[in-house]
Amino acid sequence: MRKFLSTKALIGLGLVLTVVAVAVLAPFFIPPERATQMVMTARLQPPSFDFLLGTDQLGRDLFARVMLGAQTSLTIAVLAVGMSIVLGLPLGIISGYYGGRVDNVLMRLIDALLSFPILLLALTISAVLGPNLQNTIIAIGVAFTPFLARIVRGEALRIVQMPYVEAARSAGTRDLQMIVRHILPNVMPALIVQATISLAFAVLAEAALSFLGLGTQPPQASWGLMIQASRQFLDLAPWTALVPGCALAITILGLNLLGDVLRDVLDPRAR
Amino acid sequence: MKRRDFLVSTIAASAALWIGFGPSALQAQEPVSGGTLVWGHSETTQNLDMHQTGTASTSRVLQNIHDSIVTINSDMEVVPQLAESFEISDDGLTYTFHLRDGVMFHDGSTMTAEDVVYSFERLRDPETGAVNFEVFNDVEAIEAPDDMTVVIRMSRPNAPFLARVAENGAGVIIPAGSGDIQGETPIGAGAFEFVRREFGNEVELARFDDYWDGPAYLDGILAREITEPTVRLTGLRTGELHFINDIPAERVAEVEADPDLQVVTWAPLNFDFVNFNHDVELFQDPRVRQAFDLIIDKELLMQGALWGQGTTTPTPSFPNDASRNGDLVQRAQDIEQARALLAEAGYPPGTLNVVFKVTTNYPYHVESAQIIAEWARQAGVNMTIEQLTWADWLSQVWVDRDFEMTMMNFFTIWEPDRLYYSLYHTTGGFNYRNISDPLIDELAEAARGEVDPDARTEIYQQIQQHIFDEALDVLLWYRNGSIAAQPSVGGLDTVVHPNGSNLNFHRVWLQS
Amino acid sequence: MVYLVNRLLLVVLTLFVISIVTFGITNILPGDVAMMIMGTQSNPEALEGLRQSLGLNDPLIVQYGRWIGGLLSGQWGESLLFNEPIAPLISQKMLASGLIVVMTMAIALLLAIPLGVWAARHRDRWQDTTSSTAALLGLSVPDFFIGIMLILLFAAYLGWLPSSGFVDPTEDFFGAVRHAFLPSLALALGLMAHLTRMTRSAMIGILNQEFIRVARAKGLPERTVVWHYALPNAIGPVMTVAGLQIGFLFGSIIVIESLFSYTGMGWLTYQALLNRDIPLIQSTVFVIAAVVMLVNLAVDLLYRVIDPRIRLG
Repeated sequence: MRKFLSTKALIGLGLVLTVVAVAVLAPFFIPPERATQMVMTARLQPPSFDFLLGTDQLGRDLFARVMLGAQTSLTIAVLAVGMSIVLGLPLGIISGYYGGRVDNVLMRLIDALLSFPILLLALTISAVLGPNLQNTIIAIGVAFTPFLARIVRGEALRIVQMPYVEAARSAGTRDLQMIVRHILPNVMPALIVQATISLAFAVLAEAALSFLGLGTQPPQASWGLMIQASRQFLDLAPWTALVPGCALAITILGLNLLGDVLRDVLDPRAR
Repeated sequence: MKRRDFLVSTIAASAALWIGFGPSALQAQEPVSGGTLVWGHSETTQNLDMHQTGTASTSRVLQNIHDSIVTINSDMEVVPQLAESFEISDDGLTYTFHLRDGVMFHDGSTMTAEDVVYSFERLRDPETGAVNFEVFNDVEAIEAPDDMTVVIRMSRPNAPFLARVAENGAGVIIPAGSGDIQGETPIGAGAFEFVRREFGNEVELARFDDYWDGPAYLDGILAREITEPTVRLTGLRTGELHFINDIPAERVAEVEADPDLQVVTWAPLNFDFVNFNHDVELFQDPRVRQAFDLIIDKELLMQGALWGQGTTTPTPSFPNDASRNGDLVQRAQDIEQARALLAEAGYPPGTLNVVFKVTTNYPYHVESAQIIAEWARQAGVNMTIEQLTWADWLSQVWVDRDFEMTMMNFFTIWEPDRLYYSLYHTTGGFNYRNISDPLIDELAEAARGEVDPDARTEIYQQIQQHIFDEALDVLLWYRNGSIAAQPSVGGLDTVVHPNGSNLNFHRVWLQS
Repeated sequence: MVYLVNRLLLVVLTLFVISIVTFGITNILPGDVAMMIMGTQSNPEALEGLRQSLGLNDPLIVQYGRWIGGLLSGQWGESLLFNEPIAPLISQKMLASGLIVVMTMAIALLLAIPLGVWAARHRDRWQDTTSSTAALLGLSVPDFFIGIMLILLFAAYLGWLPSSGFVDPTEDFFGAVRHAFLPSLALALGLMAHLTRMTRSAMIGILNQEFIRVARAKGLPERTVVWHYALPNAIGPVMTVAGLQIGFLFGSIIVIESLFSYTGMGWLTYQALLNRDIPLIQSTVFVIAAVVMLVNLAVDLLYRVIDPRIRLG
């Protein structure tokens, strides 16, 4: 199992680093116009020397689009997960640390929110705010928050009951200090694991929202949007779906592998 | 350029819709009765109340259930339907309709003047929320001197009144008192009666045996609502469906070449145009509007978004409308000149940001917007696209008029008053672009009161010239309509209504 | 008993919060249904008339009261856009989606249990790696992309199964299953991952237990030991995970049903959202949240001790 674990770690890390590298570096090598330039005489062309991964229905280069799409996907996912941490971490810690009535009220609210499937919540929020880049981030970020808050709360609750925390408390440590010194650092491992797995799910959610027309807007290159546009041309040009679909799968697989490995390393209870 | 001119003149010269047929052996055979036609319908039906429903998709089904007091023929003339004849007084203030004898409704009752008065009164009652409400604005009274006669008295002459009644469901007659149930179980006097609707899935119609114009051949119609274009086509190919409308544009050529399918294409189904919000300061400058017109290569855009399934046009007038201005020629693409015009107007390259709102309800609008945005980029304009759901488009663009640029299509409005008054008059019901042009207002009002057809034509041509000169909108094209059917479907040539939008199955039959 | 009463009170409270959240979100939605009914043919007077007659001009609290009162008394009102009563509409669509949910679960379990058992029996060997990899792949490929590939393969290329549509199972059961198969398969491949992992870890735990050693020592064939003795003990936690996946499933169903034009609950919700059919959005979102909550409750009651491994929804 150890060997498998390290293989897993290597593959996961490799995939994630590759995607991150593409997201960061692609704009330096591929001018952004490449993703929107259209060649009307080369629509739905299969992969060739001119177009490494073929072209879409408007004669745009799929290679350029899929490469530049990495940035869209990752930016949205990172910012959305970041937002859910900013919102969920304090909620979870307050709830878990103080317990009692505060915890009760917050947890009832969070339980109710957890009954809404994340995608449904994100879709509804996106429909409310109107689809654009910023609102997509907000929609996914808000939809993830209850989930994250609950994980953090569970951890905080566990840590609060630890003997050394009790000891510190009886020594008269103040709340804020307690939270910063003892709770926060100990919540971190679970949070990191959760954030990595959430990143995978956020990439997926962005793609799903864009696929339904409620996420990233054209002509910006987004994998979900590309898959959506490919639906009509599936039998004529299957590569228009395969290219962004594989990019998505690679990214999510990498993040999932990494999440698994991190969990095994950081969170021994979950083995 | 040459080819475009040729196409336009072909259309303008033909008397009726420009319709093309694929080969069919069946057209020569004798029709037979029986069978249920399975139709793959491109859109979801909504409110089934003919007075309230505004969407062409729902009307397309409902037109088979309802007949109208008057309708139009292929020469765009108003002709009687449920009326046997009608008269207009010389002063244009009194319309007298003599009703057809023995017209039966689906509920078994016979049509009398009472039903006609009820239908019209319901339509013009604001509580009904009827879409054609404004058609009856100048109506003073609707009377029934006897069972078979209806008289409408106007407060002032309204030249387009009768044509407006003939158009788009305003003249549909329903049985007296049936208003409340129309939304769920529509009842009319048409060739087919409503059986059921399974919401979002299918609508079933059955032949109405007592139809005044002779019973239909088909036992019934099953309209399955399949919004995904490729799925519709696959259904037709596998034999699950007999008939589909709206072949995906990129497949038309391929389907036409298929010897196992019949295809009918026609022009126009609708026209499309790019709009500016005239309340936005930027677009109050005609040079800016002209610059955006110059950015667009209409023919290339049509090839790009419609895969060639359309014909470019500089005016929204129906191709065979006498008042269409045939002298206009669309501006050719000239990015350099567009840059120059924008710079002259105070927007040198790189300084102009524009938001283009399009609705995903029309995927080819989203494609068009992407192509236009790319041209705009070449002209130094940063154009951002916002895709809106149909509901959001209606809310933001149509009602709140909160937009900079947008794009829309209208099912070809063949009646020029509706077209130019509603779309371009300052107070027009369809003027969501905030156009307020004194000359247009004056001309559109003048045309409404003008009873001499030649003089009206003159005025409408002037309006079109002015719209073009000022680039109030950028007119793009007429989009082709298309239907396809199995070889076993007969009477396909009778399906498309002269208005280019409705489909009528009265004379359609299935080979046993 | 006290626990149960408390739990039920909590259910009522949660349902109340769900209703507030649902109503709150839907009322910030821009646009209204009067506009949708009229489309581009609308004019201000007619629009206002229609709004009035639909009750869209009443204050929010009145609209909420009317809605919640209606929900409680079984009067769910009408879908404004489609002019049909909502309750039968939803029960009809729930039936359609129910078929998908059941088939998805069946397919996912049929794939995941053998795969998980196989991995557990050959722990840390290539079989285990293969099974983990398969599960991870299922988790990583978006279900709508799987759906597209399935359409391409089974509908467009092989022509074996219909690529879209819904058939009423009470009219044509076989047809209904055929139409529900591809969407269910697409969903099941995504769902499989957690179930495989759960089966594997549960089986590993049980195979190490005393009674299994005893059974083996008695000379029972390994197949009997695994399938008759071990598996029944592992099935509990696996079913718990399956139950907890319901929420996830109802999210995915929105995308998958609209991809396959399968007119179930997910499709209905998406249509309602797109069309701003506020009463329909309220009811569909509320019903989905309530169903998810009740299924989770049932699972919870059946299995009060929840393994920390199964928190991921």
